[in-house]
Amino acid sequence: MTAQTGLGAVAVLLLGVAAYVSLFASPPDAFQGEYVRIMYAHVPNAWVAYLAFAITFAASVLYLWKRRPAYDHLAHSATELGVLFTGLALLTGSIWGRPVWGTWWTWDARLVTTAMLFLIYTTALLVRGLSDDPLRGARLAAVIGIVGFLDVPIIHYSVVWFRTLHQPASIAPGSLKIAPPMLLALMLSLLAFTVLFMYLLRLRTSLARLEAGGEMR
Amino acid sequence: MRDVTFVLPPHSVLLVVGPNASGKTTLLRLLATALRPTDGGGSVFGHDLVRDADAVRVLTAFVGTSAGTYDLLTVRENLAFAAAMRCRPDAPVATWLDRVGLTPVADDPVRVLSSGMKRRLALAQAWLAAPRLLLLDEPYGGLDRDGVALVAEMTEDTTRRGGSVVIATHEWERVMNEADAVLALAAGQPVEVGPVAQLTAADLAAAAGGRR
Amino acid sequence: MNGFLRAAAVARKDLRVEWRGRQTITATGMVALLMILLLGFVVGSEPARAAAILWVAMGFAAVLGIPRVTQGEVDQQALETLLLYPGSREHLFWGKCAALTVMLSALLVALLVLLGVLFGVDVWDHGGALVGVGVLGIVGLSVIGTLLAALVLHVRGRELLMPLLLLPLALPVVLGCVRLTEAILTGTAAGLWPAVLVSFDVVSVLVCPILFEVVMDEV
Repeated sequence: MTAQTGLGAVAVLLLGVAAYVSLFASPPDAFQGEYVRIMYAHVPNAWVAYLAFAITFAASVLYLWKRRPAYDHLAHSATELGVLFTGLALLTGSIWGRPVWGTWWTWDARLVTTAMLFLIYTTALLVRGLSDDPLRGARLAAVIGIVGFLDVPIIHYSVVWFRTLHQPASIAPGSLKIAPPMLLALMLSLLAFTVLFMYLLRLRTSLARLEAGGEMR
Repeated sequence: MRDVTFVLPPHSVLLVVGPNASGKTTLLRLLATALRPTDGGGSVFGHDLVRDADAVRVLTAFVGTSAGTYDLLTVRENLAFAAAMRCRPDAPVATWLDRVGLTPVADDPVRVLSSGMKRRLALAQAWLAAPRLLLLDEPYGGLDRDGVALVAEMTEDTTRRGGSVVIATHEWERVMNEADAVLALAAGQPVEVGPVAQLTAADLAAAAGGRR
Repeated sequence: MNGFLRAAAVARKDLRVEWRGRQTITATGMVALLMILLLGFVVGSEPARAAAILWVAMGFAAVLGIPRVTQGEVDQQALETLLLYPGSREHLFWGKCAALTVMLSALLVALLVLLGVLFGVDVWDHGGALVGVGVLGIVGLSVIGTLLAALVLHVRGRELLMPLLLLPLALPVVLGCVRLTEAILTGTAAGLWPAVLVSFDVVSVLVCPILFEVVMDEV
């Protein structure tokens, strides 16, 4: 069994455990009832998305600096997965919001920022696809990956201060507003999704390398 | 392009001939650092084309088929801009205009000039940079007899100052007397490299037409 | 020293060409005017809406005007010549960015006058502050815009990409300028918004010129 398959097996296992704990073992929320369980998918999705874009940033910087194709493959894969998980985060957020707050969308700062993130990184993929020269496309996508990542904090705060209407984050540093059994479920889900992401990233990066003709300089 | 290898010493003129799409323009653009070689390399007066590209650009001036001028600016303004971009803001623009015969139209927008006049402006922009490597791609387009003499004057001036000139053209007869060596290309590969003395007019005609 | 000379030459050249052709300013001006009229009619022309409509219009005008920064060179077949001049391409960046800032600022002044007329807001008394805040935002727009103008140069579907890239990335500028313009017109506190605009400007100024060189690497 290769390291990659092993990682995949661990991911599936963890997902199974996390799913069990989230869906069955953890208690329902006092206010939201069973709907709180969507959080165990939504928060990890968002976390993984931001993790993916952080990796995209690092890989993009390395690619522009060293110009090794491996960094580009990593950046490309991370961007794709990031877009996927951002989409999932928006979707699960929407599904969660409907029964709990009565709306499919709230103009909450984090949602808007996440939507902007979705657009920026989708455009990075578009630019890659619409470039005639793949090397140039890789370079341009890296530039977007860098500018996007640096801009996101500024976008976030400007959106927050523009319309102050949002639910404070559940896990604020130094204070836990969430009951221990639910915290366990959340942590497990975070771990499971992170491992899943790592596995998918590895898989996608290998695929990118093969697509490029197996050149690893 | 493949297997193109040559060394061009200072004070010399290289004539590059070949049919359309033989790689003449590509070669010149590579030397100008407008293109990067995918394999192999080159150097201009000791500076590598890829690693020292900026040093090469300081020494090189390329007059290609694209104008490099701004239609809405006057001739004088275009030349002044080129001088400033070459870090020669004090270059005597009026003198250069006179040298290339553009003084009568100095304050006309480039938009109204004939192609021959535009070509003279492009030549002036290259000439004022006092390049050590002058690259001319089909320089004779639209030029009258005086214009052609101008190219010869530029070539002579550059070589006299210790530089070299590479001229790619279909009209090789014009350069035959000034050229020291000839490179004949066909489909990106050299078919003939050598001192011009060794080749007859018939050889050159054949090479230029691609019948070799 | 040489850098400043080259950048100034590029800025002067861009502005001169624009002045003689007035292509960019006409296109952006017309779009901005249209947007203001449309939004003013559809969303409402109460003075409270003025700031938001102004900056949404500026955003879309910028989307149309910014590609001209590099497209103008391509149209004139002058791009290759420009890139082959010796010296850092950062100088080209600063020259073009400066020219763009001037053009967008001129547009802003015209739109502020229009705003005063159409929305009945008092732009005259606060003119200096409004322009000052506007230029702070425009600097950010121009810096990131110049980078993006270079980026989309060799990509198919340029016209679609510019709004997709500029508007999300420059969102803080639009939001900040809206709130600050409102604050000036209503005499309320500016809050943290100047800090937002300044941070955006600082980060862009540090990062964009370097990335511009990466993007304009090959002719």
